[in-house]
Amino acid sequence: MNRRKFLIAGSGAALLAGVPASLTVTQARAQTSDTRAHIVIAGAGAAGLALASRLRRSMSNATITIIDAKKEHHFQPGFTLVGAGIWSPAQVTERNVDYMPRGIEWIEAAVAEFDPEANAVVTTTGQRIDYDFLMVATGLKLDYEAIEGMDASLIGRDGIASIYAGPEQAKSSATAIDRFIETGGVGLFGRPAGEMKCAGAPLKITFITDDKARSKGRRGAVELIYNAHNPAVFAVAPVNDKVKEMFAARDIAVNYSHVLKAIDPGAKQATYATEAGDVTLDYDFIHVVPPMRAPDAVKNSPLPWQEGALAADGWIEADKATLRHPRYANVFSVGDIAGVPRGKTAASVKWQVPVVVDNLVAETAGRTPQAIYNGYTSCPMVTGIGKAMLIEFDYDGNLIPSFPFIDPLKELWVSWLIEEKGLLGAYRAMLRGRA
Amino acid sequence: MNDFNPVTLFFILSESIGAWLWVLVALAAVLLAGILAGIMKLRSTGMPARRPLVTALLTGLVTTVVFTFLVPIWTLAGPGALGAPIDILFAVLIALIPGGVAAAAVFAIMALVPNRRAAAIA
Repeated sequence: MNRRKFLIAGSGAALLAGVPASLTVTQARAQTSDTRAHIVIAGAGAAGLALASRLRRSMSNATITIIDAKKEHHFQPGFTLVGAGIWSPAQVTERNVDYMPRGIEWIEAAVAEFDPEANAVVTTTGQRIDYDFLMVATGLKLDYEAIEGMDASLIGRDGIASIYAGPEQAKSSATAIDRFIETGGVGLFGRPAGEMKCAGAPLKITFITDDKARSKGRRGAVELIYNAHNPAVFAVAPVNDKVKEMFAARDIAVNYSHVLKAIDPGAKQATYATEAGDVTLDYDFIHVVPPMRAPDAVKNSPLPWQEGALAADGWIEADKATLRHPRYANVFSVGDIAGVPRGKTAASVKWQVPVVVDNLVAETAGRTPQAIYNGYTSCPMVTGIGKAMLIEFDYDGNLIPSFPFIDPLKELWVSWLIEEKGLLGAYRAMLRGRA
Repeated sequence: MNDFNPVTLFFILSESIGAWLWVLVALAAVLLAGILAGIMKLRSTGMPARRPLVTALLTGLVTTVVFTFLVPIWTLAGPGALGAPIDILFAVLIALIPGGVAAAAVFAIMALVPNRRAAAIA
């Protein structure tokens, strides 16, 4: 029995055998473990830092190594507000070092290679690091180049916006939106076909553009078209119905089953793949949401799904209730990279991290892991400056509102209050493992 | 979000407003001490509490009403953003903070400072 097998002996089988369905994520409770395991966390984004903070407090004797070359940390849920022109890039930009817990080894490099057969990773600097447990929290890759004619450097030029690429690009997008409203014309919005982070953001930026145009008395000068990637604008049925109703009321046209495949910035034309073949639309403004996929190091490793809908883009194979890898029992994936339905928001991370940590703590302490992630995610759907719908749902698409006094399908200022004033503090507390 | 408890809320608040949290706590402590000292002063001197109390309540009420309309602006929304009863309720709850500060300050000043000076200050 090698060291890793010894560490997980006795409890891994119980975990893999499943746990009672009645147990939910809320039953994850802080416990401690005296294990001296070496835990490697690949990635210091929202998931990586939150994992590091909780693991450090729960496993005081463990050696914890976090690997990430990035020094800046971005509060990505705030990108929409930067794109709306009401937040500055500085408000969503922080330093990873400020959230790195004490007693953690931070290797400032990226993971170049995952070798789960040998329980090791290799960094871009050539360092080989062995582990007992691996937490993959690398985030995802924005694949702008997968759209013919598109690359991130075009954002902010020729009517092209995209709030996903970063704080400065979100700011450039806000400028592009304002310019579009001033000059008028056709504005195109949409989303990619595959899994993506914050699937509500493409809708939010559509609503925001509409709202800003109305507030400037320019709504009649702009034509807004949302190109949905399939026959719905949102995957959760009641939300889909509500957004369609709102789009109709606000004169926002919808094309269904349109996936952006090419863009010609010079001619201001966008080509969409549709069931009836390619369709090219003229635009004066376009908000591009890139296809998203696993970073190359993950995609080229044995970790991704080998078949199924999540295989092509390289999402890591994971049990959706525990985020444990089915083939490599000492590997977990958390956050955007996890190959689970819908879980690509900071709200998902907030619930995934305690489940993974509590189960690992229980396992290494000889107890039976019991925590389950139910797929909770949240989308404060901004529908205008000062209004939002606080939508929370699970894997099954059930609306699961946290606050009984907030109607998730009603535009409310109090939901906006949570978005504008509440989320950043909650996010920072999450990074410190305190929320 | 459904695991809110006082400890979690403390950390969220602390991360949201940083050192200002402790400034507010200190302000609350000072105001509480002022209220208690004011009550003791009124009792020891036999002065009626009605005048400082009514003035404080009126000041708090006016401040709360004014801030209820300012709170949406603080969130970068327009003053007309309060569209539903729940919106107004939360705006009032937030506005009660400056309202409470104003009321407590006025009460403490009127109770502790001699009448003429208190009237001038209030």
